[in-house]
Parts: sequence; C-alpha cells; structure tokens
Amino acid sequence: MSEEADLIARSAGGDLDAYDRLVGLYQDRVYQVAYRITGNREDAWDAAQETFLNAFRSLPRFRGASAFSTWVHRIATNAALDLIRRRPPQPPVSLEDVAVSAGDDPAETATRSELQQRLHRAVTSLPADQRVVVVLRDVQGLSYEEITAVLRIPPGTVRSRLSRGRESLRRQLADLAPAAGV
Amino acid sequence: MKMGHVTELLSAYLDEQVGSGERARITTHLEACESCRAHLESLRKTVALLHTTEPVRAPEGFRARLRERIDAQPRRAPRTFGLPRLPWSWRTAAAALAVVMVGLFTVNLLRAQFPRVALQRARGPEVSVSTPPPPFPGPPAASVDRAARAPEVGAPAPYTPGEPALRRVIRTASVMLEVGDLDQTASRLTRIAEAAGGFIADSSFAQAGSTPEGTFVLRVPAPRFADVLSQVEELGHVQQRRISGQDVTEEYVDLQARIRNLERYEQRLLAFADRAAKVSDLLAIEQELARVRGEIEMLTGRARYLDRQVDLASIQVSAHEQAKASGGFWDFSGTLTKVQMAFLATIRQLLRAAETVVVAVSALVPVVVLAGLAWFVVRRVRVARGI
Repeated sequence: MSEEADLIARSAGGDLDAYDRLVGLYQDRVYQVAYRITGNREDAWDAAQETFLNAFRSLPRFRGASAFSTWVHRIATNAALDLIRRRPPQPPVSLEDVAVSAGDDPAETATRSELQQRLHRAVTSLPADQRVVVVLRDVQGLSYEEITAVLRIPPGTVRSRLSRGRESLRRQLADLAPAAGV
Repeated sequence: MKMGHVTELLSAYLDEQVGSGERARITTHLEACESCRAHLESLRKTVALLHTTEPVRAPEGFRARLRERIDAQPRRAPRTFGLPRLPWSWRTAAAALAVVMVGLFTVNLLRAQFPRVALQRARGPEVSVSTPPPPFPGPPAASVDRAARAPEVGAPAPYTPGEPALRRVIRTASVMLEVGDLDQTASRLTRIAEAAGGFIADSSFAQAGSTPEGTFVLRVPAPRFADVLSQVEELGHVQQRRISGQDVTEEYVDLQARIRNLERYEQRLLAFADRAAKVSDLLAIEQELARVRGEIEMLTGRARYLDRQVDLASIQVSAHEQAKASGGFWDFSGTLTKVQMAFLATIRQLLRAAETVVVAVSALVPVVVLAGLAWFVVRRVRVARGI
C-alpha cells in the first residue's frame, strides 16, 4: 500500500499521471458503487466521473484520517445519492414491470443473465438509505466499521438499515432462495 | 413475541456483529424456534445470492475521459495553484528586502561619512537637515528649492505698502546656523541683506571656547522675507529656526481712527480759536490744542513705527563655526559614531517603512474583505454548478 500512499501524495501535489494511476486502482470499485446505487449505467458514469473530479479537487485536504478507500467510497456514495436525489422521483419498480423500467441498453441486457438482472433490480428497488448500506456491505464487501465511516452514521443505524434491506431482498428473491427450509 | 426481536437481529448475527449477550439469546432462541431457523437460513441464502452479483467494471474510456476533464479544468486545485509558486515569491521578496536593506545602510553610511557632500539632490524641502552651499559666493542654490521653501515659511500674501486695509504683520525669524567660516558668513549675510534692499541692523561676534559665534540682525523688506530667509539658511547647517508673525492690523487701524478723530478735534479747536473773544478762552483753547497736537504726534509716531516694523521684517541669525574635526588622514575617532548613526538611521527607516506598510495594509483591509467575499461567492457558484 506504500505505492498507493505515494500515488496519493503525488496526486495531492497535482501530479496528473499519478492521479490517473490512482483512478485506475479505484475506478471499478467506484463505478460499481455508483452503478448499484443509481441503477443504470448512464448515471453511474456521471456519478463516478463526478466522484473522481471531486476527489482530485479535495485531495489536498485529504489528511489520511480515514483510509483512502473509505474516503473515496464516501465521495462516490454521496455523488450517486446526489444524482438520484436530483433525478425526478421515479415510480417504485415493482417486480412485474421491471422489464419495462430497466434503464439499460438492450444489448447489455441481453448478455446478462436473468439472475444478475433480478438481483440488480431487487437492489435498485430498495429505498435509498437501505440500498446504500446493502451495496456497501454485500456487493462491495465493506466491514460494518468501514460503512460507519463512509456514511458517518452510528453503527446501530448501519445494522438496522442493513437488516431491513436484506429482509426486503429476502422477500423479493424468495423464489431463488427458498425460505421454507433446505 | 420473542421471535420478532430475533428476526431483526438475524442480519447482524449472520455477520457476527452482535454482542455476546445477544448472541447467546439468539442461539437459545434459534434452537427453540423452527420458524426463526428457517428465516435465518433464507436470509443467509439471500446474502449469499447477493455475493454472487457479478462485479461491474468501469466502462472502456472512463479513465481517459476523466483525464480529459481534469486537464480541461482551470487549475484551481488549491495546492497545485498556490504552493509551487509560493516559495519562489517568498524568495524574491526576501531578496528584494535584503537589497533594500543593504541599499539603505550604504546610503546612510555614506551620509554619515561625508555629511557635507552627501546627496545634495536627495534633499527636498526638508529644513531640519540642510547642507551648506558650495564654497563660492554666487546665486545661492536652485530657484526650485527656493520656490519649494517659500510656502513653507508661511508668508500669506505679499505685503504692499500703502494699502491700509491689508493685514499688517510684523515678521520675525531667528535662525541658528552652523557654518564653515564665520567671517565669510558675515560678509555673505551683508550681501544678501543689501541685495534684498535691506541692511544689517546689528551684528556681534564672540569667541567662546574654540568655536567663534556671531549674531546678526537683518532687516529686509517684508515681501523679500521668505526669499532672504531661504538664502540665509543655505549658508550653513540649520540647527534651529523660529518664525513668527505678529498681527498688528487691529492696533494699526485703531491708531489711524484715533489720529483721525484727534485731527478733527484739532480742526474744531482751531475754528474756536479764530472766533474766541476773550483772551482767557483763547489761552484755554491754545492749551488744549497743544495737548491734542502732542497726542497726535505720539500716535502718528507709533503708527510709523509699526509701519516700519511691518515693512521691514527682521531676521536674527546666530551663527557658529563647525567644531573642526581635528586630525588628519589617520583619524578614525568618529568612525564608530558614524557607523552607529548609519545603523540607527537604517533601523529608523525600516521602522518607518514598516509603519507605511502597516498603514497601507490596514487601508486595504476593506478591499481585501470584499475581494474575499466575491471570491467565496464565485467559488460557491462554481462548486454548485459542479465546475
């Protein structure tokens, strides 16, 4: 990680090449968060771009109080949430009309498996606060502590949001993961 | 009843994010509760399912596009903008300051070393430190200098005799000079006074200790007062100067009125005298006439005296010779003092410069505050627009 620290320091000093490499290390993770939160590729692109632009601007103020990954996750989450907040509220996606409301291009849709699409839609259907926690925990694999740091909310809140989000997903995906034991 | 609680906790239980007390309770409950076990199992599967989400990768060209956008940005990143330039400008400022200090010190040292030659041109209308003129008699100093001095001397309006309504001011000045050669100074003073249409009213010499002193009183026409004063001051190093103007307009006007009244009274008395029948009356009138005449003479005399005083300003000059710095080529007895003087002068000037800077900066504070606000607003707007 000392290489990463070096890249961070150089980026903070305005070294664009260093920052480019730093982006290379984080772009997939950031894009993933943005995609899972916003729900479509177009917004994900915008949010992820915004994230890295913002991070570059704010890097000089990054003091290393938290891990860089945490810091970037926070910016990405905020950027994505910002984007959905600014977007006119969409009617909640119900399981029946997902096929219509999925914002992805057909070619992309065709290549992805049915299961992946269902998972994605289910996550996207969650209320934003639960969605964020579920994405950070179960898609990104962050620890509870990291999520607490990224979202700046108390651990209890992380736990309860995650619990409600998972419960909602469990019901939506009941047919894939049969509830009635074994 | 208990079941609800445990369902809430299952998610955290799954992640081993429950306290030991809770864990024990959940475990016990799970053993007893079939439905909760099923629930836990189903939740575990859901989470496992979520873990199978295929990682999404950033699209092709994401990095390149980002690079373009960052490149296109005005370089406002605080550190890239501010820091690299700062050391350079600090170094420049330090260098400039050093140059200024060295320059000041050199100038002061020169001034202390050669007090008579030093920087004649640098002298403005400053009076307290005047330099002696070149050692040949002639039209003293530049006329520009004189023009610059004249208003400072404070002559309000040039006096023109014969205009009674005019302000009547008796101008006097006393100057203490340090000169090179007293005799030469005396003759030059005479020449100055005569050239201005005046004269030396009084002069005296005295030799106390090693330095001869002389006192001269010059009387010169009032209009030439300022002019002559500046010429006198060029004869040596001015150590003290006092200029005063006594306004006698009121007294003068008063005198004139009283004289006029008395003259009218005299006329009437004369008329009475012509018509006087008795000798005793005539005698009384003559007596009164004599008294009035005497008073008129007295007042006229006073008026004339004032006239003279006003017309001729007086300048008292006390001159003493410079204490001769004895010793010849190898005399460095004064060097330390000179260095000290130069040093102190530099410090004084630096302090004065600092004062100027402080004053200027405080004058700029409102402007800076406004600029800061404007900058802040602009930045806010930019951030809000996402630039």
